[in-house]
Amino acid sequence: MKTALKMFLALTLISVLSGALLAAMDSYTAPRIQDNFYRDLIEAITLVLPKYDRYEEVNTNQYPIYVGKQEDLDDPVGLAFKVTGNGFQGKISIMIGVTPDFSHLTAIKILEQIETPGLGTKIVIDPSNKKDPYWFANQFKDLKLEPYIKLVKNVKPKNDNEIQAITGATISSKAVVRILNERIKEVEEAYRKQLSVKTD
Amino acid sequence: MMELILIFISAAVVNNFVLSYFLGICPFVGVSKRISSAVSMGMAVTFVMTITAVVTWLIYHLILVPFKLEILEYVTFILVIASLVQLVEMFIQKISQPLYEVLGIYLPLITTNCAILGLALFAVLREYTFIESIIFGVGAGAGFTLALVIMAGIREELELAEVPGIFQGAGITMIVAGCLALAFMGFAGIS
Amino acid sequence: MPKRVNKLSYEFLKGIWDENPVLISLLGLCPTLAVTNSAINGLAISLATGFVLICSSLLISSVRKLIPKQVRIACYIVIIATFVTIADRYLAAFHPSISKDLGPYVPLIVVNCVILGRQEAFSAKNNPWRSTLDSSGMFVGFLLVLLVLGSIREILGSGSVFNFQIMGDWFIPWMVMILPPGAFFTLGILIALVNLINQKRAK
Repeated sequence: MKTALKMFLALTLISVLSGALLAAMDSYTAPRIQDNFYRDLIEAITLVLPKYDRYEEVNTNQYPIYVGKQEDLDDPVGLAFKVTGNGFQGKISIMIGVTPDFSHLTAIKILEQIETPGLGTKIVIDPSNKKDPYWFANQFKDLKLEPYIKLVKNVKPKNDNEIQAITGATISSKAVVRILNERIKEVEEAYRKQLSVKTD
Repeated sequence: MMELILIFISAAVVNNFVLSYFLGICPFVGVSKRISSAVSMGMAVTFVMTITAVVTWLIYHLILVPFKLEILEYVTFILVIASLVQLVEMFIQKISQPLYEVLGIYLPLITTNCAILGLALFAVLREYTFIESIIFGVGAGAGFTLALVIMAGIREELELAEVPGIFQGAGITMIVAGCLALAFMGFAGIS
Repeated sequence: MPKRVNKLSYEFLKGIWDENPVLISLLGLCPTLAVTNSAINGLAISLATGFVLICSSLLISSVRKLIPKQVRIACYIVIIATFVTIADRYLAAFHPSISKDLGPYVPLIVVNCVILGRQEAFSAKNNPWRSTLDSSGMFVGFLLVLLVLGSIREILGSGSVFNFQIMGDWFIPWMVMILPPGAFFTLGILIALVNLINQKRAK
């Protein structure tokens, strides 16, 4: 019986000690971690939206949408939201900026990806293009979304809803376009639904 | 449904736990000398993985999150795994003594198998649903078993080959694993 | 069996070569292979692991007489997991980019066999001073291996070390080095090299 008591006491003491240490650590670091999250978020939103002074968060079922607005005006300058989808090697997450009517992209920023280093990673930065290493993502600036984004290979894009794939990284390029086309439609639906609910 | 199949194939082959994520390496180097022990180990791990996926998901989403106790994630998960392994050990001993003897020391070692904790952590990180987590667990276990069995097969053949002295043991195992990893990289892009 | 009492300096030094946790005992391979795709990642993970290793050793050897044998593994695990959580949170709060790079491999320190192995084999049976020396030595051994591995893989795979480009434009990186196969190959060769050196020393 005495061993059972010792076992119980030892375990309880260790657990309490652990709990106390962790609770302290949690309150010490949690605010910092929150700040880091918001700092990254604001950085991404600022990169994809045109100039804005403040943003409002609209919560649809799946996605928080960040509506950028100017100082005293109520008209949105653009909407930003983060989406994820399957790339070649793993998940790609992208911050997307669109015009309030969902007709054009304002810009995109690839947040996370684990594509093939040196090939698929060119969707983020392409060191072999000395003039404009970020050329792939820059193609999406002010890109027309109607009827949908089209990917062309080995030729320069002719229409304003077309972008050119990266040679040697077609699948990663296609993945980005597919994610954009699919998700933007979903978000647009969710957003319009949310809006109509609000005005009822 | 497609999504579930994708998760299974991804965990088992495309993003194989051992060859892509380096999880479960320790038993990989130690156990994979014989195909039969590799199969037994693989099955035990798959079994533990699936149950772990279930239990940790439940604990995380039903207890830790609602009470804002996410900081206890690692402590609770590893305790769950340790207890599960104990239970599985007792269970196997009860129903099949010979199986218990075959697995021997490797059973308690499953607790420190990075693959099990890795599985639990990934399922939370990727925000899988309950069903998705279970499929993920089965897939990951299948992939682990696959890697282990292939490795054992190669090593059984290697015993007949003349390996240079300094490479014997761990050295050649690593090189072989590297070749395997290279081969599995060919699966990328299936998703 | 009489307990072998080593010189204090040996307790520390053995972790670096003779009983190097990675190259000789083949423990802690998961993080070793996963996060050594760059020198800085290797450094970060070793520091985190070292923190957990040394703190756990200190605590466990201090209370070793109070923990009953039957629950010792459970107690060790709770203590280790606690320190790992502390390290993980610290990184997420103060070094967020490193935290993102290391990802799930920080919490995986919990199951790093090196740590549990040292507690079971050493800290549970020795006083805090010796235990700290032992774990510090193991930490240094671990750190060196990861630094070497990380640097080799980074130099051959990205042409840089600690993010400083040291290979000129003429160098075409061996992409495979920062991918899983590269990790396995490099470690295999390293282990073979160590065996070679040990064989020569034994002559």
